[in-house]
Amino acid sequence: MDTVIETDRLTKTYRGARGIDDVSLSVQRGEVFGFLGPNGAGKTTTVRTLLDLLHPTSGSASLFGLDSRRDSRAIRARLGNLPGEFACDPRRSGRELLTFLAALRGLPGLGRAAELAERFSADLDRPTGELSRGNRQKIGLVQALFHAPELLILDEPTGGLDPLMQEQFHEVVAEERERGATVLLSSHDLDEVQRLCDRVAIIRDGRLIAVEHIAELTRRRYRHVSVELAQAIDADELRALPGVRDVELDGGRKARFGVAAAELDGVVKALARHTVVDLELEHPSLEEIFLTYYAPAERDS
Amino acid sequence: MSVAAPVRARASVPAPRAPRVLRAVVRRGLLDNRRAALVWGGPLGVMGALVLALYPSIRRAFAGSIQGFPDGLKQAFGITDFATVEQYLNAEMFSLFLPLAAAYVAMRCVASAIAGAEEHGDLDCVLATPLARRTLVAGAFATAAITVAGVLLVAGALTEAGGLLVGETVAVGRLGAALAGVWALALFFAGVATLAAGLLHRAATVLGTGAGLLAAMYLVDVLGKLAGGLGWLRAISAFRWYGTPLEDGLDVPGLVLLVVAAALLAAAGAACYERRDIA
Repeated sequence: MDTVIETDRLTKTYRGARGIDDVSLSVQRGEVFGFLGPNGAGKTTTVRTLLDLLHPTSGSASLFGLDSRRDSRAIRARLGNLPGEFACDPRRSGRELLTFLAALRGLPGLGRAAELAERFSADLDRPTGELSRGNRQKIGLVQALFHAPELLILDEPTGGLDPLMQEQFHEVVAEERERGATVLLSSHDLDEVQRLCDRVAIIRDGRLIAVEHIAELTRRRYRHVSVELAQAIDADELRALPGVRDVELDGGRKARFGVAAAELDGVVKALARHTVVDLELEHPSLEEIFLTYYAPAERDS
Repeated sequence: MSVAAPVRARASVPAPRAPRVLRAVVRRGLLDNRRAALVWGGPLGVMGALVLALYPSIRRAFAGSIQGFPDGLKQAFGITDFATVEQYLNAEMFSLFLPLAAAYVAMRCVASAIAGAEEHGDLDCVLATPLARRTLVAGAFATAAITVAGVLLVAGALTEAGGLLVGETVAVGRLGAALAGVWALALFFAGVATLAAGLLHRAATVLGTGAGLLAAMYLVDVLGKLAGGLGWLRAISAFRWYGTPLEDGLDVPGLVLLVVAAALLAAAGAACYERRDIA
């Protein structure tokens, strides 16, 4: 498996203000890679730096093994991009935009634009200024995909789409992966990322704080434990156990709490000193995991 | 239905050749400005025709009185004499009004294609293609050159047609030379706008910078004409090199200088644009 995107200590500052700081990551060919973070965390700055719209302050990025600055044109010939705030001349129709972009790419026609437009129910013939945000977003998706690029960079791709179209988009991404394309999906929609992505990078305050496989992330971090005991248990006894947090007692005999995956063994052994009537372990959702990454920063602020 | 099955990721995609991409950018730019020739050229041509229609009565009314104006004032505002229709048309249109309008159209073409498109977020898709930034800049500059030529052709044709109707025509060669001079001056300010767009992110700021320089250069030229000691200052004004082509014929070295300066400014703008971030 070869590397399609690689950044090495990529840093971008704006007139002294933070953009991104020391971002190092790699995305493999054929991978759907999620880029998670709240607004202002640095997702769009990273994407725009990869596209050479922004020039890095320090560090480097390569796509397809080519330097993002020196070989930008060759790189851009092989990718499709949906910007976070997709915009185009409101006087022009989607078809006119696609014709222009096809000419810039040296393509003889509009590729699979008609098929994609049909799938997304996109109106290619009305001026984009007359379309709703969701319908403009569909044009944005068509222009990112119509030339069958090797790499898709999608920044908040489902913003404004109705649930039916979101579903359609998820199917298209799955097909793109099947085709062998690589997808960098920047989003703050955790369900979408959990559903579509193989791996995810989490960015906070411009710094990358985790890069993990989705499955590993949800498996390794912590578990929700729901336990019912034959006798009442003291909440402090549970709180004293290593790795245990957020203890909630329900009537004294039932308890629910979170436990770090690494400390699970100790918790089970401690519970075994009581008579256990029922025990249930649950993996947390990506959203809960995401919040654990952000909670310290929020507490600090 | 699936859009993915028959398509395989390609090992590499060559970027299309620059001239082909440049043609696409210019075609798109001309499409965006396709109404300019009529919207700007039409009223300017009608105004030119009116000036020619009024010339006989103006000539009678002002006969002799202009000689009383201070020489500097007459020279500064191109009203040295209304003995010929060319002199009157030059004073009314070609000394300031037409160059101002043509320069504005040229600067607006460049500002909207580069800084305006950036401001509206339109470039995020366009610059995600293999389009080189310098090609985008060259396309905007070429679009301005062609658009202004279209505006001036329509304005010139209407002026001449109006003159024919009232029997006050300007020699076609002389009018053509004057329009070529205006075109070169407008191109110079397209170059100024290109350099400004290479540095600045907002269309209004680019236009404001260009308009400010235009006003400053005009004032410098007028001051140089009025104050004999400051005559040397006129060399830094594009209006000095534009001259008065309707009266004196085309100043070919001046025209070449303006066109070369415009090209150099545009090249500097492209170099700056390559180096800066797209907001």
